[in-house]
Amino acid sequence: MIVFGATSDISQAFIAKVIEKEGNKYPKIYLVTSRRDATERLAKHLEVKYNQASEIIVFDITKDSDYSVFDSVHSDLLFCAIGFLGKNSQEGLYDAVNTEAVIAINYARLIPLINYFVQQFEQQKSGTIIGLSSVAGLRGRQSNFIYGSAKAGFLVYLDGLRNYLYHKGVHVITVIPGFMDTKMTEGLPLPKPLTASPKQAANIIYNAYRFKYNKVYISGIWRYIMMIINLIPETVFKKIKL
Amino acid sequence: MMTKMNKQKIANWGKFPVIETDMIASSDFDQLRKIIAESHTIIARGNGHSYGDNSLNKEKIFSTLKLNKFISFDKQNGIFECESGVLLADVLAVIVPEGFFLPVTPGTKLITVGGAIGSNVHGKNNHSEGCFCDYVLSFSIMVETGDIKTCSPSENSELFWNTVGGMGLTGIILTAKFTLKRIETAYIRQRVLKAKNLEEIFNYFETFKNWTYSVAWIDCLQRGETIGRSILTIGEHATQAELPVKKANQPLHLKNKLKFAVPFDFPSFILNTFTVKAFNFFYYFKQIKREIENITDYDAFFYPLDAINNWNRIYGKNGFIQYQFIIPANFGKEGMSNVLQTIADSRQGSFLAVLKLYKASKEEAHNSFPIDGYSLALDFKINKQLPALIKKLDNIVERYNGRIYLAKDAMSKKSLLDYVKTPETGKFNSVQHERINGETN
Repeated sequence: MIVFGATSDISQAFIAKVIEKEGNKYPKIYLVTSRRDATERLAKHLEVKYNQASEIIVFDITKDSDYSVFDSVHSDLLFCAIGFLGKNSQEGLYDAVNTEAVIAINYARLIPLINYFVQQFEQQKSGTIIGLSSVAGLRGRQSNFIYGSAKAGFLVYLDGLRNYLYHKGVHVITVIPGFMDTKMTEGLPLPKPLTASPKQAANIIYNAYRFKYNKVYISGIWRYIMMIINLIPETVFKKIKL
Repeated sequence: MMTKMNKQKIANWGKFPVIETDMIASSDFDQLRKIIAESHTIIARGNGHSYGDNSLNKEKIFSTLKLNKFISFDKQNGIFECESGVLLADVLAVIVPEGFFLPVTPGTKLITVGGAIGSNVHGKNNHSEGCFCDYVLSFSIMVETGDIKTCSPSENSELFWNTVGGMGLTGIILTAKFTLKRIETAYIRQRVLKAKNLEEIFNYFETFKNWTYSVAWIDCLQRGETIGRSILTIGEHATQAELPVKKANQPLHLKNKLKFAVPFDFPSFILNTFTVKAFNFFYYFKQIKREIENITDYDAFFYPLDAINNWNRIYGKNGFIQYQFIIPANFGKEGMSNVLQTIADSRQGSFLAVLKLYKASKEEAHNSFPIDGYSLALDFKINKQLPALIKKLDNIVERYNGRIYLAKDAMSKKSLLDYVKTPETGKFNSVQHERINGETN
């Protein structure tokens, strides 16, 4: 199992779920991260709590492009939870550094990284790739459309990748979270009934993995919320403040 | 990222009081440092299973639930280290199969390690083996300056002893290291004895004080001859030889059990004197023999209520308080009989009344609840008459030089609570601390 963004709350919950459900199926879990110290705590935790070996690979997506650090990394499950919310439009629209970072982390620099592994999966002719997009990528809204547009790009990428890899025996899952109670949204006022915990998310993603779903919302209600939002005609939508 | 206000309603296990506050969780120590710096006042909170208004703060609460990593488990020497937000349940899940148990555990395993230190929790083995912190080798704590201090009885010992039972008023505990107890099996050999009154139950406690674990359930609505009618449960960790063959094959593994849940707040009329009386009657007479001895698993012995999710809902949406006091042993019988009489007169019966023998903590542990004496813990549904009853009970406890356990307290008087003394940090503060400080005695 390879995990991008290993210290994210969803990654940690998903790793725990996989081990709880399948035991020490993976001799080693590869934790890809930009933060070594925080990931070392996680690696130690996995060892002590689950007797699970892991390897930390430090890779900063904002600047690293030497993929040779992944030379010895092989698995049939890739979980990608790399994401960066950045500033909202009000604060970040004219901040070029922030805009570039949002686009780079969520899309531009992420795609080549995943493609590096796609090659591996293609040769294996099996396995599962799980990518986390966002409801923000389903329709551009004034409050965070830079992030949304990058996630939209990623969403379409995963669609295409699923189609491409289907013929090679590899399954691709698109995860579309709504509001999540995670580090990313710390301090944001989120409506409780619509907000999922990392644990709930991990359960939904694990089911999708087990039953080979293509797209899953976290949680299910977001499928209907987005259905309604997408039905609003553009002439009306452009006038509302979301 | 932005730290917008995100007010939400928070209450601890007793659902009283409910406060509106900003609660934030993080696994990142640097983030925590920032949160502490930006807050005027703040308090740490674990899993919210203490009962009253400790670990609540109207400005900011730091939830330790994301400090949930295990750090080390030395299986040779039985030493365990983890972050402060790890639940005792998570620790047990890992240590029991390896032949270890918690040295001390309260009646629920759904509390965090940090909370166990902050309240210096105790359990059925207090009279024989002391409090949780007697087994804590060291912990690390972030103090008001954002510095992380490692504390043990020999290093930063003043901060160590102020923090033990200090109700979170010294800082935010990050990690802790403690010793475990070796066990042969995950089972307990228990004896259950019926006592027909207070006289008999006190004799039992005396007779059986060499047993590691002991606790008594007491029917607090009895009067006269049968005042203090109770059931004593005593136990020892079972050896492999004591187990029936079926269990002896896998002595350290328990089957997953069904969990029940209380799906919603019960309407508050459901618990009344009549239903509590009926419950107490059946509870006492369900065991016909005067004494039984059998083997039970550790979950059933230590954590019967954890098997029912949200059992606090039976008290209705207004919640309840747990009133736990202790009085010196020499006043034991007289004091208890006074308290029981007062409760019976008030007709506000509690059906989870627990009587226990305690031994005093060592002197350095100056914030700890136990003294040499007897403690009684009672649940009372919140209602209009309750404050008056609590006042009466407080006065009795005070008369006998007793004290109240701060992890349960929500409305007791200052003189029973101010044995807990920590230096003011100007940063860490709780609703409870404010209430106690604000009250003029």
